Amino acid sequence: MSRPATGGRGRWLLRRVAYGATAVWATSVVVFAATQALPSDPAMAILGGDATPESLARLRLDLGLDRPLWQRYLDWLGGVLTGDLGRSLDSGTDVATLLGGRIANSLALLLLALSVAVALALALGLFAALRRGGLADRVVTSTAVSLQAVPGFVVAVALIVLLATTVWPVLPAASLLEPGLSPFAQLHYLVLPALTLVVAETPYLLRQVRSSVVEALESDYATAARLRGVPERRVIWRHALPNGLVPAVQATALTTGVLLGGSLVVEVAFSYPGLGGALNAAVGARDIPVIQAAALLIAGGVVVVNLLADLVTVLLTPRLRTGES
Amino acid sequence: MNSQITRRGFLGGAVLLGGAALVGCAPDAQRQQAASPGTLQDGTPRRGGRLRLGVVDGDRAGTLDAHKPLTIGSIIRGFAVYSKLWEWNAEMNWSPALAEETEANADATTWTVRLRQGLEFHNGKTITADDVIFSARRLTDPALGSPWAALLFTLDRERIDKVDERTVRFHFKDGKGFVPFPDTFTNFGAIVPVDYDPAKPVGAGPYKLKEFTPGQRSLFTRFENYFKDGQPYADELEIIDFQDEASRIAALQAGQISLANGIGADQVRLLQGDPRVSVVVSQTSNWQSFDLNLSKEPFRDERVREAFRLLTDRKELVERALSGHGRVANDLYSPQDPTFDRSIAQRPYDVERAKALLKAAGQENLQVELVSGEGGDAAALVFAAQAKKAGVTVTVKKVDAATFNGPRRLDWTMSTGGLLTESFLSSALHLDAPVSAANKTHFSDPRFTELFEQAITQPDVARRAELVHEMQRIQHAKGGLVIWGFNDALDAVSTGVGGVVPEHTQFATWRFEKLWVKETT
Amino acid sequence: MTLLPRDRQVRAGALLTVLVVLVAVLGPVAAPYAADELVGPAYGAPAPGAPLGYDYLGADVLSRVLLGGRSLVLTTVCAAVLALLAGATIGMLAAWTGRLADRAVLWCADVLLAFPHLVLVLLAVSMLGRSRPLVVATVAVTLLPGTVRLARSLTLGVMRQEYVEAARLLGYPRRRILFREILPNVTTPLLVHLGAMLTWSAGLIAAMSFLGYGVAAPAADWGLMVNENHGGLRIQPWAVLVPVALIALFALGVNTLAEGLGRTVARVEEER
Repeated sequence: MSRPATGGRGRWLLRRVAYGATAVWATSVVVFAATQALPSDPAMAILGGDATPESLARLRLDLGLDRPLWQRYLDWLGGVLTGDLGRSLDSGTDVATLLGGRIANSLALLLLALSVAVALALALGLFAALRRGGLADRVVTSTAVSLQAVPGFVVAVALIVLLATTVWPVLPAASLLEPGLSPFAQLHYLVLPALTLVVAETPYLLRQVRSSVVEALESDYATAARLRGVPERRVIWRHALPNGLVPAVQATALTTGVLLGGSLVVEVAFSYPGLGGALNAAVGARDIPVIQAAALLIAGGVVVVNLLADLVTVLLTPRLRTGES
Repeated sequence: MNSQITRRGFLGGAVLLGGAALVGCAPDAQRQQAASPGTLQDGTPRRGGRLRLGVVDGDRAGTLDAHKPLTIGSIIRGFAVYSKLWEWNAEMNWSPALAEETEANADATTWTVRLRQGLEFHNGKTITADDVIFSARRLTDPALGSPWAALLFTLDRERIDKVDERTVRFHFKDGKGFVPFPDTFTNFGAIVPVDYDPAKPVGAGPYKLKEFTPGQRSLFTRFENYFKDGQPYADELEIIDFQDEASRIAALQAGQISLANGIGADQVRLLQGDPRVSVVVSQTSNWQSFDLNLSKEPFRDERVREAFRLLTDRKELVERALSGHGRVANDLYSPQDPTFDRSIAQRPYDVERAKALLKAAGQENLQVELVSGEGGDAAALVFAAQAKKAGVTVTVKKVDAATFNGPRRLDWTMSTGGLLTESFLSSALHLDAPVSAANKTHFSDPRFTELFEQAITQPDVARRAELVHEMQRIQHAKGGLVIWGFNDALDAVSTGVGGVVPEHTQFATWRFEKLWVKETT
Repeated sequence: MTLLPRDRQVRAGALLTVLVVLVAVLGPVAAPYAADELVGPAYGAPAPGAPLGYDYLGADVLSRVLLGGRSLVLTTVCAAVLALLAGATIGMLAAWTGRLADRAVLWCADVLLAFPHLVLVLLAVSMLGRSRPLVVATVAVTLLPGTVRLARSLTLGVMRQEYVEAARLLGYPRRRILFREILPNVTTPLLVHLGAMLTWSAGLIAAMSFLGYGVAAPAADWGLMVNENHGGLRIQPWAVLVPVALIALFALGVNTLAEGLGRTVARVEEER
């Protein structure tokens, strides 16, 4: 992203928001087009193999499938802009109601997992960077790389066997969240899925933190500070860590984006009622209004998170510059 | 996900339930139980507690509409909320439920149904003939668009007579007879009040709806005025949707749910050593098949069809694709039906003859694509390995349920198939009768059609059996269904629940009025 | 390049990578059974002649492991290389052309980034069916935006260097500047990025396989094996754990190798 010119921060923000909005809009077009291009007729997907031509025709009429494509797109877009996401083809429920609870669940899981993962990544990344090249660094780094390659569901099953069914059964195996209750009021259901996500996402964050802190520690200004007699501890806290934060913020944004739609494996393994599972099921059931709404929500979420990350980076940068001088 | 239940319970999207014989039949199969026997039927039923059933419903969330249940989860929820005129007994025959007496006339051109006295809906309203007429008309209403209306295609919805407050007489189109009326009406013919609102469903089933979160769970409370005295036992019933079989089994082991219906056969081994859970095995006539499209090459040639039947190692298929939890079949459905012809010899496994037949047909290096629906791929892969031994190259193409049942569903050259237990006539209505909407094999035989038209108007079992026997010989020799096995219904039950008894149906865990929660100490 | 074998990390990475690739390449020769041969009981435990037991249908797990590496390694490498080639070309050209084209490319990359990966995979597979080229393409498209952005910013960095400016002012042909001056200077970081992409690619393919969107059976494939047998993870763990371990080792090896190489090259340049 372009850096803001001094004084033009407001305009920069505005431009950035408009830019993000166009990206979301483009996603909406692609998603809409893709759902229309899906093989199989949604009416048939819903009614199954035994449906008569009459009941299929009836449903197609109800779905408005007889109207031209652009008109359906505009109707849908208009609905989205006025807060009407349509009705699920599968259950007949209002899509906003259907997804509302799931969004809250996904966000709760995301927040919990991310806060632990980021804290862990910062601590371990810093630790490894300070001992760069040593045994501890190697152990941390190669563990991280190997863990990154272990599929999430293997971690999930291992945790279930360990903590839910067999070895030490203290936590629920399935996250059967009470609908209508805040996910934070039923934290015990969040522990295992969050833990799985932490194991899956910490390695990437950790390695980002490590490499940027190493870079900062070996940079010219750090060397200069040392030569000026600044104590190492101060070099680390004042120079290395803040510089390590900037890439960490960007990496966190990327991870959030991935988690927004990609915690599906975890949702499936723990029967956690989140957004990814709803989307996956909707594609399988050809529940087009739900696919469109969920995909748009995730895309919008990714754009907002990236925007926030850019904002944080901008806010961090001037302070870092003063630290440099 | 790739769930087992999808295959066992919900075959390629065609949920086809029930079906029965008109007179009681006695299947020779023994009832059996797999793990820790003695934990199931002990004690007397106790009131109170909450039953928790976990279901895997493929990718669907489903609805509560009485007459449009499109997924196995919706059908199971329907078993809680709604009652019907008839119900299926443990042998998969129909017996009266809300009805007190039902009777067909001599040529089955009318059916007369009388309701029990003093029946009530959840809202306290008395159930009358008007409600029955409304329900039958709603199910078959083209405006509702229920796919199950096709099963009652012959019902004359303009001629449902109210004889008195409790009695209704049904007629059929063109004054024709319709023997399988109870078979086809029972499954989806929930009786609902004339002011029925699917958004606030009211029925006469054992449990009243309290809360429904699609795709997640539904909660029900006991209906105190249920028509069976003293039932149901539990205060509450909760039905929980799972996306993954492994997750459901883990939840059962961890005590989060107490019932899991129709579990995957490969999960049984995992549960066998677990003292907290027992597996109830019900031998059913639910069948699995490979469907050959007779309108396409190479299956236009009867010799190729015969060769495919002979090169199918049914025993191995049952062993591998059903983990041994099933029985070998002989290309014919509905062995539980009293009209079933038991004199037709079991087709052998004979690769050499299959090869000779293929050679005679000039199809020695045959290549065929086998399309497998959700969950059918294990059987398809085993079959591909078997076909290789006869020199036939079978390429398995796995597609999702929406594609499998999509616009091309009748075009597959060869595909996986199957159906839940139904009476012979009702199965034929689905599959290969002249009026069938899902005739994947494109089977059409003039003599078969003629016999079908006669059988459907023949209420006398002995006389109908003669007709059916001839139809089955035609199917066995020329049909397109390679029916290789019948799978058991496997239900996993926590030791804390009583009342789950093995049957010859898949309903052991769906009879919510009979299940009860044991005292937890 | 003579420095390479001296770096311990490079050596370890190379060793691991070569080991896994050897299993993948030579495995098919050593496999006792064909991929679709059903020789034992479903989920059968390890037995003499079948040290890793049998899978969900009763095929020999060892044979499928030996046969299933080639396609996974190939798919992973193809996807990452495809993303690298396409991403580098687009990113460099965007930076070089500048103005509208550059903005358009950046915008497209952002749209792709915002597009949920899951939706991409689900829709692509639902539309086009399961096939190996599709897996490669989907993973490559997922990795593309990051690569484009990296290549673009690297190119911009190099373009600001004095010698490129000088070459421009001297009126060297554009193609010459692009290939002689810029390309060599962005190659090293891009190669390191390739290592990271290989790791992601392996992870993505494993995840796709778990969800059932990978290579189609009866072909043997490590990712597919994980999907097929995951229901029996608690009954016959080897059918899942062995392919998972091999995928993880492959990712670890490639990554270690790439990072080590990057470091070595950087050191060489510094010494110059």
